[in-house]
Amino acid sequence: MSNHPVVLAITVLFVCVGAFFFLVGTIGILRLPDFYSRTHAATKCDTVGAGSILVGLAVYTGLEFDSLKILAIAAFVLLTSPTAGHALARAAFRTGLVPWTRSPDKGGVG
Amino acid sequence: MRRALTLALLILASVPLLYAVSLLPPVGSEDNPTYTYVVPHYLEEGPEETGCENIVTAVILNYRGFDTGGEVTVIFTALMAVFGVLLIPRPAEKVRQPESAVPVSPVTLFIVRTLAPFIVVFSVYQIINGHSTPGGGFQGGTIIGALLIAASLVMGSERTQRLLPEGVRRWLQPAAVLMFAVVGVTGMLLFGEYLSYPIEGEYLFLRVPFLTLVEIGIGVGGAAIVASIFWAMEGSDG
Repeated sequence: MSNHPVVLAITVLFVCVGAFFFLVGTIGILRLPDFYSRTHAATKCDTVGAGSILVGLAVYTGLEFDSLKILAIAAFVLLTSPTAGHALARAAFRTGLVPWTRSPDKGGVG
Repeated sequence: MRRALTLALLILASVPLLYAVSLLPPVGSEDNPTYTYVVPHYLEEGPEETGCENIVTAVILNYRGFDTGGEVTVIFTALMAVFGVLLIPRPAEKVRQPESAVPVSPVTLFIVRTLAPFIVVFSVYQIINGHSTPGGGFQGGTIIGALLIAASLVMGSERTQRLLPEGVRRWLQPAAVLMFAVVGVTGMLLFGEYLSYPIEGEYLFLRVPFLTLVEIGIGVGGAAIVASIFWAMEGSDG
């Protein structure tokens, strides 16, 4: 824990970036047209959003054992979340879900 | 007519419920009975009375140990119900073919294999340390169960089930219930009442082992049940 203004500023920056990506990702899940683009939006929340917030918290905690734990969580999130997104999108594509395109005659759903 | 009747019944049923809610002590008020008596007692006396530094475990395994014992029995009964429904032999043409259409992604396989040791270490840590840190049998067991499911997805259920052969699995599923019974009866023989833990005296050293045994039972049982339900739903168990 540190109340040094520089540390606080870095923490706020990281957490704000994370919150921004969560917001964008949530809007994406609600607004994007098909499965693939929504998966794309959802994985942004977990990787950049959660990752950035965790790094910010680690900076705020300072040089302690707890910040190492937080960074470990961030590392595991960065490994697993894209893998989950990859597995979902791959399974959908291989089982024949057609990606959305703007013009309906190219095989999209509209 | 029917809709009006439903609406009238709903309103009729909600009036006593809302009245009861209005009689509850205000949320967050300082002089709620929970805040004036129960919580201070747990927080102040808990670690000494139960031997758990983690107050959640103190409440779950000690103050309301009977309740948790009932809870694991409910979970085990739920597994039996799931088996009862899912393991009814289905006509051959209705049996879903295993979804081998999509070959396993090398990326997913690599990540699951790389992370598996970390996941095992983390869940064992949670189970063993449940009495002093956040976590415990339920959480640790679910993590192992989830790992078994992930392994089934990338390696195939048959290879994963070889880690936990049918004969072993059948005995691990009721592990939580059995462990509660063993610790409960041991407590009864030593201290007079079912599921009682030593508070003082020569058997005090048994307190943490008792708690750890129950945690291990909950963890092993939980993992076996989570994985078994997945395999039963997939149709590869039975």
